[in-house]
Amino acid sequence: MTKNLSDESDVRAATAPYQAEFPYERDEEAQVTRREFCNFLGLTSAALFVGAAGFAGKAALDARESVSLPTAHIEGAETLTPNSSLNFSYPTERDSAILIRTADGAYHAYGQKCTHLSCPVYYSRAEQRLECPCHEGAFDAATGAVLYGPPPRGLDLIEVETRDGQIWATGRKS
Amino acid sequence: MRSKPGQIAVWQARLIMLVMINIAQLWILAATVDAALARHYSVLLPLVIASGVCFAITLSIIKWWRPTSRKKTSSGYIR
Repeated sequence: MTKNLSDESDVRAATAPYQAEFPYERDEEAQVTRREFCNFLGLTSAALFVGAAGFAGKAALDARESVSLPTAHIEGAETLTPNSSLNFSYPTERDSAILIRTADGAYHAYGQKCTHLSCPVYYSRAEQRLECPCHEGAFDAATGAVLYGPPPRGLDLIEVETRDGQIWATGRKS
Repeated sequence: MRSKPGQIAVWQARLIMLVMINIAQLWILAATVDAALARHYSVLLPLVIASGVCFAITLSIIKWWRPTSRKKTSSGYIR
């Protein structure tokens, strides 16, 4: 007698060790009761509430923090040619920023996070403006103000100073 | 035990309301993220309160708004 490979009992026997560790029945997989679905929607509602409260709480906490920012030398800024940009970190290593030397030779620095959904912005040499590739927002290179697109406010401004021919970041404004 | 037609209608209504509230909460969460990134702090608290109200309504629907003809025993409702 040949063995029937599609026999359900063989499959059950073969998967028994796994069922012991991960007890998930095929029959249960196909059926979700209305009660279970209601409970799932309740959990989802709780998670969405916690998410909104957490996000709002973190934003409120960040707004209250008033730390004195360090002064930092921007490496390589002196050799930056006009109409080009340089990435650096300020005030911490985790905060990416972008230094721009506009065509007239002036230095401007901004936080690199787009104010829409935090994608990194880049400097478009052709258009001479900062652009966000995610949702097509654009910012003025000289002021950081929104030119068009979904960002609700301008980029965070990083104050720069020239000291003995070197470029220093001295503060940050939202 | 089979559900009566009226009970099915109540169950469907509960599910539809819960799904609609979940969708509203998703929109509130998106608005909260937008407001936080835009530094519009004045609207954060109303948004969180709105989400909390939605959650309270969800809980009330799950806990108390049930078909009235269902039998209740000492161990809970009959499934």
